[in-house]
Amino acid sequence: MSDLVTLRGLGKRFESRKGLFGKARAMMAVSDVTLDIPRGKVTGVVGESGCGKSTLARLVLRLLEPSAGEIQFDNVNLRALSAPTLRRLRRRMQMVFQDPYSAIDPRYSMADALLEPFQIQGIKLGAAEARAKVESLLAMVGLGAQMATSYPHQLSGGQRQRIGIARALALEPDFLVLDEPTASLDVSIQAQIISLLEKLQAELGLTYLFISHDLGLVRYFCDRIVVMYLGRVVEILPDPQAAPRHPYTRTLLESNFVPDPTQRREIRRLTGEIASAFDLPPGCAFAARCPNADDLCRRVRPELITDPGGHASACHHPL
Amino acid sequence: MALLDVKNLSIDIHGIRPLDGISFHVDKGEILGIVGESGSGKSLTALSVMGLLPLIGGRIERGTITFDGTELTTLPEPAFRKLRGRRIAFITQNPMTSLDPVMRVGAQIDQVARLHLKLDAKAAQVRSIEIMEKLRIPEAATLYHHYPHQLSGGMKQRIVIAMALAADPDLIIADEPTTALDVTIQAQIIDLLVELVRDRDLALILITHDMGVVAQTCDRVVVLYAGRIAESHAVQAIFANPRHPYTKALIRCIPREDTVPGSLTGIPGAVPSVAHYPSGCRYHPRCARRGPPCDGIVPALDRPMGGGEIACHFPEGMGNVHV
Amino acid sequence: MSLIIDTQAGAGQSFRRSVAGKVLLTPKGGISGCYLICLVLLALLAPWLTPYPYDVQELSIASQAPSLAHWLGTDEFGRDVLSRIMYGARTSLSVSITAISVSVLVGMTLGAVAGYFGGMFDRFVTAAVDLSWSFPEILIALILVAIIGPGLHSTMLAIGIAYLAQFTRLTRAQILGLKNETFIEATRNLGASHGHIVFRHLMPNALAPVIICGMLATGDAIILEATLGFFGLGAQPPVPSWGAMMSSGTAQIFKAPWIIIFPGLAVAVTVIMINLFGDALIRALDIRAKLREG
Repeated sequence: MSDLVTLRGLGKRFESRKGLFGKARAMMAVSDVTLDIPRGKVTGVVGESGCGKSTLARLVLRLLEPSAGEIQFDNVNLRALSAPTLRRLRRRMQMVFQDPYSAIDPRYSMADALLEPFQIQGIKLGAAEARAKVESLLAMVGLGAQMATSYPHQLSGGQRQRIGIARALALEPDFLVLDEPTASLDVSIQAQIISLLEKLQAELGLTYLFISHDLGLVRYFCDRIVVMYLGRVVEILPDPQAAPRHPYTRTLLESNFVPDPTQRREIRRLTGEIASAFDLPPGCAFAARCPNADDLCRRVRPELITDPGGHASACHHPL
Repeated sequence: MALLDVKNLSIDIHGIRPLDGISFHVDKGEILGIVGESGSGKSLTALSVMGLLPLIGGRIERGTITFDGTELTTLPEPAFRKLRGRRIAFITQNPMTSLDPVMRVGAQIDQVARLHLKLDAKAAQVRSIEIMEKLRIPEAATLYHHYPHQLSGGMKQRIVIAMALAADPDLIIADEPTTALDVTIQAQIIDLLVELVRDRDLALILITHDMGVVAQTCDRVVVLYAGRIAESHAVQAIFANPRHPYTKALIRCIPREDTVPGSLTGIPGAVPSVAHYPSGCRYHPRCARRGPPCDGIVPALDRPMGGGEIACHFPEGMGNVHV
Repeated sequence: MSLIIDTQAGAGQSFRRSVAGKVLLTPKGGISGCYLICLVLLALLAPWLTPYPYDVQELSIASQAPSLAHWLGTDEFGRDVLSRIMYGARTSLSVSITAISVSVLVGMTLGAVAGYFGGMFDRFVTAAVDLSWSFPEILIALILVAIIGPGLHSTMLAIGIAYLAQFTRLTRAQILGLKNETFIEATRNLGASHGHIVFRHLMPNALAPVIICGMLATGDAIILEATLGFFGLGAQPPVPSWGAMMSSGTAQIFKAPWIIIFPGLAVAVTVIMINLFGDALIRALDIRAKLREG
């Protein structure tokens, strides 16, 4: 079996209430996501705020309880697992978080932070063994051994994110969910981190689920791209360079600022806003902003249809 | 003479010098990009031009800032107040914090026109709605009565831009105006700013860390590193032939269509903090082309034949790498 | 996991050292710190240090003004005021420190469980805290003493319960703020149990503000203990307490003012010193912002 993780009809519903006696409103943060994450590959999930990409990341690891659907991790049904079994399985699936500034307990030294995974999983290490482990983890992410005694506030954002990656790798997982790991870093540091992640993936044969809002970055880094809009998958590109079929994917692509002044994009007079996830229209969620939308789009939601080449899109009028 | 001409600007904040010998100019109908990573001094440059350094306990140590023939460094605060918001407008990074949460957005735009153009309430409202429509805010007359929290991030940033335009300024300084916004909205806002410059013959200083935004919008670029100018030139020249190793590395940090997988490397290390600036060229510890003089001698800002400025002992395209 | 323990203990020691330094090297912290240390020593060593027994009445020397033999004078039964103040410190400190310590421990547990797990328990705890906050502490203490009868133990219990709401609320607020931090999610993702998250991450990060709050509450508790003693609801005679001493001094407030003034000064100075020390500690730990949240 070549897929490490498979998602079937995964959904998450959040409810919120305005005031004590207000009407409860439900919001589908993620609806009906069916997706295979192939082993040893980088699957990218791209979308804007409110598209459900971060919620999806947490559902896949069952950090959030799904309201619908199934998650298979290496042929194990994650939703059927008891809490202790799931806790033990966590060593095989880890996550790198967006905000490196709050991802480490401010009271923990780097050595403490890197050894905590072993402590939690009940793996006993001798003093010498523990020291060696810390040093090798630090080296793995390109940090010096002297870093072991520092505290988070003494580190730069890039260094903290490296620690975040080292901590995620401590238990030698197969699967890493990267939730916008570079979104709060400078471009020069972003490139450092991406290059580190590429190197680690090649060396350790990891499977990545890479969440990002930056289509340019996803197209560079990922083998497969999943485009989400307001909680649903609207397109799956089997190859990062494949031409988009969904108008939203094209909009994302055109919004990308190419660092080349000889390829200036023309000014577009797009004014649409992302709709609120609380009151979604009955038809295609993108219809309000779509230049090709017609009556059908506003009435009937298009299904995600996959062609023989593995390219899937949910659009009545694909490009 | 350029609309804004900054010459050899150095500033002092509590005994440290976070900006050192910065010069640039911008003319009407022109977009100047100021690029650099966080900690490069981009925002301080904006504060200096706006005369807002005293707010953070800073002062101008050396240099001149000339705006339309007026010297700003010696301008007394009351006179500056007539200029700020009226002829020089400022757009900040975070639209969420630049709007007053308890005031209707329309009234916030009115305020600027009433203060600087001495319009009455009625005329100010008509004018505000007009500006909102020009910025393609849908149903401007309705949104005029909304509070900031009722608007999306992109809409709020449009309101902030409307406030900047309300007094018909000549120069707009936009400090990372789209960083907090979604990708598609970011593109809309940037396009809007470019259009405004072209239609109204404004001068725009766009402060950003994103080389992509620079390439797509600016006419000229100033690259800052650790409080000094690394390189400045016309945008085509900078991207076609970056001469400072930092500029080149910064451009290479953004993956492009033709970037080979595995070839993205970033720039090793990080921008030093003001208290720990290295001697000589401040970029030398991260530089692949550094040679013997780099750690001791500050490279002079050179104005070569082909135009632009560069401060490097070993610019790209000039002989071998020294080890 | 010896390395973890080693490094944590090492970090803990240097942490304590540096904080102690930061507190004691400021004028505020230095003076109040020295006073409090002396007071605790006096209280502990009272049986060996007092010039006279606290309970032997000698009516022949009743209500004498301060002299070389009796530095702070004698009370209406001829007992040495200085000796009684030293013994009174024992009562005052032991009652307030014990009561506040227990209150902090219970309050932290309630607050942490309520804040971390939420749900029905949280709603119940919050309601109880809100309810108890709508009464002044003194009223709660008076009611409790009235129910269970006067005495040292009931004073402790009354003070402890009176301040419970404060610590519960502060801890709950801290935990609520902390539990959404990314490092908590990251730790959960490593497979950590609730216990690990609460005791290794949430509690240590919430501790400092609660400790400060407990410190300041100890000052209030001394006043509350003195008040109960003044009304005769605290320690019962012949056990000396500052409040009871002041109460007995009211009868001769003009004739023999030292009987009421010196215990009163002891209360006032001690409370001021505790507050100064708390201030210095807040500065040293740099947690002003956190206290405001609570």
